[in-house]
Amino acid sequence: MCSTLKIALKVLLRRKFFTFVSLFAVAFTLLVLLVSVAMLDDVFGPQGPEDRPDRTLVVLKAELSGEHSRRNGWAGYGLLSRTLPEMPGVERSTIFAMPRKLTTYHEGRKITCFTRRTDGEFWKVFRFDFVEGQPYGDDAEAQALPVAVLNESARDRFFGPGSAVGKTFELDGRRLRVVGVVRNVPSLRFLTFADVWLPTSLSRSDGYKKSLVGDFAGAMLLAPGARAADVSGEFARRVGTVPIDDDRFKTLSASASTLFSAVASFFVFEGLDSKRPGVIVGVLWLLAILFMGLPALNLVNLNLSRILERASEIGVRKSFGATSGALVRQFLVENIVLAGLGGVVAAVLTAIVLAVLNRSGLVPYATFTLNLRVLGWGVLLTLVFGIVSGVLPAWRMSRLHPVGALQGRFE
Amino acid sequence: MIRLQDVSKVYRTDRIETTALDGISVAIEKGAFVSVMGPSGCGKSTLLNVMGLLDAPSGGTVSLDGAPIRGYRDREVAALRNAKVGFVFQSFHLIADLTVADNVEIPLLYRSMAGAERRRRVAAALERVGLTSRRDHFPTQLSGGQQQRVAIARAIVGEPRLLLADEPTGNLDSQMGEEIMAVLHELNQQGTTIVMVTHDSRLAESTHRTIRLFDGRQVQ
Repeated sequence: MCSTLKIALKVLLRRKFFTFVSLFAVAFTLLVLLVSVAMLDDVFGPQGPEDRPDRTLVVLKAELSGEHSRRNGWAGYGLLSRTLPEMPGVERSTIFAMPRKLTTYHEGRKITCFTRRTDGEFWKVFRFDFVEGQPYGDDAEAQALPVAVLNESARDRFFGPGSAVGKTFELDGRRLRVVGVVRNVPSLRFLTFADVWLPTSLSRSDGYKKSLVGDFAGAMLLAPGARAADVSGEFARRVGTVPIDDDRFKTLSASASTLFSAVASFFVFEGLDSKRPGVIVGVLWLLAILFMGLPALNLVNLNLSRILERASEIGVRKSFGATSGALVRQFLVENIVLAGLGGVVAAVLTAIVLAVLNRSGLVPYATFTLNLRVLGWGVLLTLVFGIVSGVLPAWRMSRLHPVGALQGRFE
Repeated sequence: MIRLQDVSKVYRTDRIETTALDGISVAIEKGAFVSVMGPSGCGKSTLLNVMGLLDAPSGGTVSLDGAPIRGYRDREVAALRNAKVGFVFQSFHLIADLTVADNVEIPLLYRSMAGAERRRRVAAALERVGLTSRRDHFPTQLSGGQQQRVAIARAIVGEPRLLLADEPTGNLDSQMGEEIMAVLHELNQQGTTIVMVTHDSRLAESTHRTIRLFDGRQVQ
């Protein structure tokens, strides 16, 4: 294997033009894929407050349907408050609203921020990084205490970079007291992202409490050893028992699933059953392979055209004892080494592109990083690219008859 | 060493059937230096390819070291070629991307052999052909004679007992041709069996025996 690698590197270094053209195609393809993976990782990876995705089930979507009417959207507080409490196999559960954009004036300055109403359990299901202070608890929710947690960005905009705990500000007609400040959460983390978090009970009315479809979501932290399928099943059973007090609708549906399948099902593949993340992962892989397909085909063509150029080498190697299998291995290793070099170039370019994206502010508080998980995906994609684009040329080259190859004939 | 019994080779395309070898029976003894002569297209190279197990005969039997070759399965004939046969081609067929040493090393890559041992054998083979100082050069940096000597080093590095040379001096001037012949004679004296295709009757006369072919048939 060592000598095969050595030969592969020598061949690539000696054929500079071919190597450059191939590297460009490989690196660009992998760059796009790696940036996509880094973004997906920022949304779904176990980091920030959502660091336990394997133990977290979420309820995002709810749908009411009847013979002539249909209403769907985020889950309603009424649905979640009837189904989540005291769920077997669940350590904690939380009900929280989706972010809402509000504009307020503070000391003569206009400040726009995203707010999110939550219960006290929210801070235990999701683990925020507190810079100062602490979260509000269930008592704040029960007593509708006018308190809030800010992120660093909101703190800076309201009060400047110093300490903010104990200070007050006005939002949505209420004066709120800051009890804690957390590090910014990227806006793509849509379960937890906000600038200001405050108790749900501070809402102007309590009409939200009855709604089955609304602007809330729920999350459950599974107890160690609990099976997600059991909890999902129990949730589905409970949904079936929730009374519907609107004659237009006969059925209420909602499901508890992992964040990945819930989000994919909600945004990307609406209509797919969110309990089947395998299908969604399969579709994502298919997209990645289709995206890799064109440059891979290009590389296949380049490699096939090089059979002519390398015929003598193939003939010589076969004459001196190379089996077809050994030649397939050699050409595959060459292609994988090429893809590997492309992967390294792509990783460097990805780091640069992600840094530019983070600084651009296109995605608020984005923390796209080339972490080990993303790099791991990069290695896997590189291997897939190297193998997919190398198998056919390697097989064709290895099948050449040694005499024909030595004479430059390719029958 | 190698025996061909009533060997024939027929090439078939959609419309044409060409008989390259027809009823060839030849025995090459161990330690012999045999030349193969005949006009162009008479089947000399085909005979060499069949002897070297690069091509399967259409009929008849090829035996190497007393064992008949059957089936011509890729893995088996590849192992036999690697262990027992070395090739020298008229147009050298050196790999331009690899250095002299890397070219010579090729047959050893298909054996389970430690890197240190491979390097030792490559150095020994290059010394035998007088090219130790050129080990890190690329083929294009060498003269024709030197390239053919590299090809010979590659053919003998695995210490095969049979060396098949297809017009080894065909692309060289007379002085370089003589140098190559001297190397081949020296190898033969050291025990290597050699079968050489040539057009040059002077070179054929310097071998132990000559097989003459005409239209795929053995005439002498």
